[in-house]
Amino acid sequence: MSLDYILTILKPMLQGSQMTLLLFIIAIVLSIPLGFLLTLAVNSSIKLLSLLAQAYIYIMRGTPLLLQLLIICFGLPMIPGIGQYLVLDRFTAACIGFILNYAAYFAEIFRGGLLAIDKGQYEAAQVLGLNKFQTTVRVILPQMFRIAIPSLANESVTLIKDTALLYAVAVPELLHFAETAVNRDFTIVPFFIAGIIYLIMTLILTLLFKWIERRFTFE
Amino acid sequence: MAIMEVTNLKKTFGDLEVLKSITFDVQKNEVVAVIGPSGSGKSTMLRSLVHLEKIDDGTINIDGEYLVNKGAYASPSDLKKASTKMGMVFQHFNLFPHLTVKENLEMAPKLVKKVSAQELSRHSMELLEKVGMADKASAYPSNLSGGQKQRVAIARALMMQPDILLFDEPTSALDPELTGEVLSVMKELAKEQMTMIVVTHEMGFAREVANRVLFMDQGEILEAGTPEEVFDNPQFERTKAFLHRNLK
Repeated sequence: MSLDYILTILKPMLQGSQMTLLLFIIAIVLSIPLGFLLTLAVNSSIKLLSLLAQAYIYIMRGTPLLLQLLIICFGLPMIPGIGQYLVLDRFTAACIGFILNYAAYFAEIFRGGLLAIDKGQYEAAQVLGLNKFQTTVRVILPQMFRIAIPSLANESVTLIKDTALLYAVAVPELLHFAETAVNRDFTIVPFFIAGIIYLIMTLILTLLFKWIERRFTFE
Repeated sequence: MAIMEVTNLKKTFGDLEVLKSITFDVQKNEVVAVIGPSGSGKSTMLRSLVHLEKIDDGTINIDGEYLVNKGAYASPSDLKKASTKMGMVFQHFNLFPHLTVKENLEMAPKLVKKVSAQELSRHSMELLEKVGMADKASAYPSNLSGGQKQRVAIARALMMQPDILLFDEPTSALDPELTGEVLSVMKELAKEQMTMIVVTHEMGFAREVANRVLFMDQGEILEAGTPEEVFDNPQFERTKAFLHRNLK
């Protein structure tokens, strides 16, 4: 096994990693705010909104992400009548699937953060004359995010690894190139290289979240 | 002059009558201590004065403004107006953990009263000085002892310049050796003629500092009077029994 060989297969695999990273970034940047909005909806005093948000979270967390991706990629276009307008580029479809799915998980993480905040915080804010909006933005959210950071980090690592599901909807990403090389060259080295690339990505992510956690430790 | 008038306050939780027709008033510059066994309704009564508990019936008038009039709550804006006349110090401090000591003091007046940053900073440092916490202005609450947290909480309540300061068992969550520093800040305030209502288990403080003592039991004010009247010459058996248990 020569170094030359590794360098040859590394190039397409790194290209595949770009796809992986792109999906990761799009998914995390959009699903965290969406998840947060879902948390607000779940806690809303408007019963219908709360019920809808809860049902959404239940469905998204209760079915496999792979199934959701398959439905968005291949199922939607088969709907009679409107299906022809729902044919999406595979990568776009995958992004939508990841965002919708992960938003549900992030919503639950934020909800946990909210539940962990002592009710004395709301009382202190009320007695000091803060209105509901000020209390939420100035008192509750900063604490909620702080509590949520470790869980957010955990979920983000899962997201990086879940990008491998792109393979199933035939978007060429890291794992796809690794497997192509394995079949072509009859060696499992590319799998190991893929593993190492995933490890490097999760390591960077873990370190990033550790930094964020330290940055938001109030001591 | 009565700065607070409370008439026929009633509250029930299900079948349990937590407050049975509570009536009392508070004069300006007066320190009123509320004592009584656990579960007697002291805290609920105090919390209802700042609208942290909803009462079922009765009247609360703060310095001429109705918070509740015969069971009917004032409009949200009037409620707020009446509430801002009062500050509250909680048993568990309820400082904001994500803000420094100084930020804890300044956040509410900055948002609610729109005071200039300069003026805020001067005022907050002055109050921190007063409670002996100026050197911890940039510390976070997690690095403070219980006594220090409570002193900061008192300063935070004072930042809003309330006419009446309410204390809900301010020393009950503290280690015994830390209660002194909080009580001495409260004594200082009493000396400066701050109007205070203090729910407390500190009989020494009640006797020494309060102008008037209310003894509550089973949701009613059983006995009220000067510390001498209540402590030295209680009229009711239940008061005697409570004092007997707590003055040893």
